[in-house]
Amino acid sequence: MPQNETIQDLNLDEYKYDFVTKSEPKFRAEKGLSEDVVRQISQHKDEPQWMLDFRLKALEVYESKPMPKWGGDLDGLEGVLDEIYFYVRPQDQMERSWDDVPDEIKDTFEKLGIPEAERKILAGVGAQYESEMVYHSLRKEWEDAGVIFDSIEDGLKNHPELFREYFGTVIPTGDNKFSAMNSAVWSGGSFVYIPKDVSLDTPLQAYFRVNQERMGQFERTLIIVDEGAQAHYIEGCTAPVYSTESFHSGVIEIIVKKNARFRYTTIQNWSNNMYNLVTQRAIVEEGGHMEWLDGNLGSKLTMKYPSCYLMGPHAHGEILSIAYSGDGQHQDTGGKVIHAAPYTTSSIVSKSISKGHGRSTYRGLCKVYEGAHHSRSNVECDALLIDETSRTDTYPYIEIEEDDASIGHEASVSKIGEEQLFYLMSRGISEVEAMAMIVRGFIEPIAKELPLEYAVELNRLIELEMEGSVG
Amino acid sequence: MSTALTDIGLMEGVTEAMNGAAVERVSLGEPEWLRERRIHAWDVYERTPMPSTKLEEWRYTDLKKKLDLDSLRLPETEAAPDDPAAWPARLRATMEEDHEASGHIVLVDGHVVHADLIPELAEKGVILTSLHQAADEHAELVREHLATEAVPAEEGKFAALNAALWTDGIFLHVPKGVKLDLPVRVTRSYTESGAAYFSRVLIVAEANSQVSYVDEVISDDFDEQTFASTAVEVIALDDSQVQYVALQRLGRRGFYQSVQRTLARRNSRLDTLNVAMGGSVTRVDLSARLLGPGASSDMLGLYFGDEDQHFDFNTSQDHEVPNTASDLLYKGALDGKSRAVFRGIIRVHAGAQQTDAYQTNRNILLSHGARADSLPNLEIEADDVKCSHGATVGQLDEEAKFYLMSRGLEEVQAERLVVTGFLGEVLAKLPLGGVVEKVNRVIEQKLSQHS
Repeated sequence: MPQNETIQDLNLDEYKYDFVTKSEPKFRAEKGLSEDVVRQISQHKDEPQWMLDFRLKALEVYESKPMPKWGGDLDGLEGVLDEIYFYVRPQDQMERSWDDVPDEIKDTFEKLGIPEAERKILAGVGAQYESEMVYHSLRKEWEDAGVIFDSIEDGLKNHPELFREYFGTVIPTGDNKFSAMNSAVWSGGSFVYIPKDVSLDTPLQAYFRVNQERMGQFERTLIIVDEGAQAHYIEGCTAPVYSTESFHSGVIEIIVKKNARFRYTTIQNWSNNMYNLVTQRAIVEEGGHMEWLDGNLGSKLTMKYPSCYLMGPHAHGEILSIAYSGDGQHQDTGGKVIHAAPYTTSSIVSKSISKGHGRSTYRGLCKVYEGAHHSRSNVECDALLIDETSRTDTYPYIEIEEDDASIGHEASVSKIGEEQLFYLMSRGISEVEAMAMIVRGFIEPIAKELPLEYAVELNRLIELEMEGSVG
Repeated sequence: MSTALTDIGLMEGVTEAMNGAAVERVSLGEPEWLRERRIHAWDVYERTPMPSTKLEEWRYTDLKKKLDLDSLRLPETEAAPDDPAAWPARLRATMEEDHEASGHIVLVDGHVVHADLIPELAEKGVILTSLHQAADEHAELVREHLATEAVPAEEGKFAALNAALWTDGIFLHVPKGVKLDLPVRVTRSYTESGAAYFSRVLIVAEANSQVSYVDEVISDDFDEQTFASTAVEVIALDDSQVQYVALQRLGRRGFYQSVQRTLARRNSRLDTLNVAMGGSVTRVDLSARLLGPGASSDMLGLYFGDEDQHFDFNTSQDHEVPNTASDLLYKGALDGKSRAVFRGIIRVHAGAQQTDAYQTNRNILLSHGARADSLPNLEIEADDVKCSHGATVGQLDEEAKFYLMSRGLEEVQAERLVVTGFLGEVLAKLPLGGVVEKVNRVIEQKLSQHS
């Protein structure tokens, strides 16, 4: 049988997270965004007055800001925003024991393999379903060490001073239209505090799931890594495939204090009709070390540029970004590094793969302020194009105000080499397999940084996607 | 409710000196088609808002701060005589440095005052003349190409302004199969402080022809801001080879604004070199379109800033058909409080397979107050391509400096040598006689002021 026929038989659009759990929400705010919705959210969460004021102010800022004209195509978004539910409360309270989580929700996460992962290696797990964290747990030993790993709501309730000191300081409400939107309607997300000199040897993990149709998820995460502490936080995102578009807009604020180390890993595998517009930023103090590992595989449009503000001498920022854009997808991703202190170093490595009519865009900023002498930064972008209809763009911004700095940017675009393919096939490897091997080699520098189960997942996905590219 | 046109950004840039009446005045005595073209351009100008920093292309050059259009006058100086004795000293000195040429054009304050061409080239049909004269004598050719396909008024605010108000320029036409061994040299001198000069260059190289063109602009320092605008259209037809070189050596308070577009047809080779040394503000919009299979363009740039000089290069490489190549290299050294912006984009259009496109911008900062911004962009819509870009900002190569010093050179000498070597890479790629020496001399001068 000719190879082409086999390939056509394969289901190319397989998306293993495409299942819907039948679960009735406890509460659902009316459609669209309004002051009423904002007040309802705040009331449901039993928030202090200052937070309600904060939300209402943010709503004003959101309404005053125009839709961004750059990045991806947001023309269809306003229609989507009118139709979605900004707040859906799946259950009355957050559980700390997995057994107490309602069966329908538990079922969802069982399918996603969360409890299994937790048993194996994790220091703590949080799961968000629709608008609320439904489950949070932290290993006893870490709780005893003073580590806080809570839903953001509980963070506000239980640690009001710490919360208020940092909330909204890394990403101000008015940073962009979507950070303003999130500030008005945020719900769910994690509040993490790692005390001085505490090193978590296994990651904290959060899982985000949108189950309902026409749902907007606006998680807000605040992480404080105190002096000399070390931790790793992983988030995963999935949703079933609906015919209508959904929306996800998170705000992630991170403070890495003196000599602390932190890594934030995202594997985003939203369904292909999700708008995913996320603002992620870390402030890195003296000698601190921040790494963003950002994998964008799903969604219809992602606009996401994790940033490191290097505020103290010898601070280091690193962004590893991988994007896959299949048919109808646009990954507009990248990273920003701001050198605001001397002896700061940073590196951005971005790898993207575009297939079919997919479009991958790298957009990044490297800024060195005057006075940030002895700064070093290196940016590398590689794009792989699978089909003649695929598209890739690279838009780096390099702004250097300091003479004693060394900044480099390099990007290249390539397709899968005929020679590479020929070589592998001459060794008896099928074309599909050979292509997958080449793509795996291409993303290897990033995949090897992932926790094992995610690396396996990524590889599986690449294999699945490559099946459609021959013929 | 009625909104004044100015409120929505229209009619911006209409001044006491630059207005509809001025357009009528410059078109006096011109053929009707040209007058209509100017009026159309003026209309586009009025309808186009003044570029602001909100536009990506103008993000780093704030015209509100850099350009005072209201203060500019149109030049009043009459045409100078075709007699070197009557020309400004700087112009005479510049001309004396020139090597041999196929022909010369000299412009003083926007008027062509001298044109010559080797007689045998004239016999072969080469045209090198004032654009004004060409509009009469070679109306058909000029009408076909002037502000039509390369730099039409619609290209932008300044392209429209130039197309409406240009006073004179250069027309160079090389017929089929004719090859010019020596470059054509154009020298422009500006003397009127506070004036706004508009001129155009139109170069058409027919199939299988070959020509190099060097355009040098010079002036003393000005007392007030003086605006020198050029629109450059270079068309290379099948299998032709064209080199375009612009050498900017304006005095301080000069604002050099140049819109350049090159159209490369099948198997043609169209290379450009922009050298910017003088002026207070330099803005170059260079767009290379690769329109025929086998076409290629090398795009070279060199700048050296000191004091508060501001350079802004905005380039594009458009690969519109399969099998074309472009290679861009812009290098600059920045001293004092000078600043350079490079924004370049490679666009590989859908279907333009087998494209080879490269883009490199390298800066060295020689002083604490200097600044460089670099935005090398790629938009790739075909998969069988070789594309890469790179940008660096850094200091002098310390190792190279150390090496030279270990061989007995003084620190200052070693630094100069390293900078000269860094910038020299660009000149070595298009080593036209005369240009290299001139540029090296300016670099030497600037370096001798570097402490």
